[in-house]
Amino acid sequence: MPLQFSLPQQSFLLEEERTQIERAQQDPRFFAPLYERYHDAIFRYVYRRVDEEEQAYDITSSVFVKALQALHKYEYRGLPFSAWLFRIAKSELYQSFRDQKAQRTVSIDKVVLKQVIEDWTEDYTEQDKARLLLALKGLKEQQLQLIEMRFFEKRSFKEIGEICGLSENNAKVKTFRAVLKLKEFFHQKE
Amino acid sequence: MLQILFDRKEPSSYEVREHQNFQEILAAFNYQQKVNNPWRYWYYPVLTVCLLLLV
Repeated sequence: MPLQFSLPQQSFLLEEERTQIERAQQDPRFFAPLYERYHDAIFRYVYRRVDEEEQAYDITSSVFVKALQALHKYEYRGLPFSAWLFRIAKSELYQSFRDQKAQRTVSIDKVVLKQVIEDWTEDYTEQDKARLLLALKGLKEQQLQLIEMRFFEKRSFKEIGEICGLSENNAKVKTFRAVLKLKEFFHQKE
Repeated sequence: MLQILFDRKEPSSYEVREHQNFQEILAAFNYQQKVNNPWRYWYYPVLTVCLLLLV
């Protein structure tokens, strides 16, 4: 679930968050408000990418333990704290795929899938759906991540960039290229 | 191997909160800190030796 706030709210939250981070760096017990704020978003990010719910809870738990362990090294460099947590989540996820503890999964709403297909073809058929799924499987992992975040999770390019360690423009360009690749695979399978 | 799941039911925020809480995370973190502490095997022997020397 993307976290979205209005601008004045955002600057107030950022200020408040920085104070909370500083307190948590002194004493991990003060990490609680940050945990409460981001736990749900991190859990859902992980849950949509693994096949089992229990795995998602385990990975989420290790994300927060890792975050607490590395908190003393955290420095505010213009990136929101959530981006730092998402990056840890991403690294924990890929570690569990490498260890074969979890299976790489893409969770898609049928309505969203239909919208994507309708942008490319005049009418949506079950065959188109199968073709798009095949095309998704043909993408490289980074391209799949970008498509997943932009279209299936409706994240902004700014947020995608923050999670992937790219600038907003670079995220836009790379997502555009990933879409082109997906379209190419989609039309190849006709 | 990539797996694609459709219209997957996500647990509610309440269920997620019930399933996992900050105290568990903090306990796991404290345990990790304890396990990763290189002094943990030496702490009690060194303390005992110091006490013996003092006595």
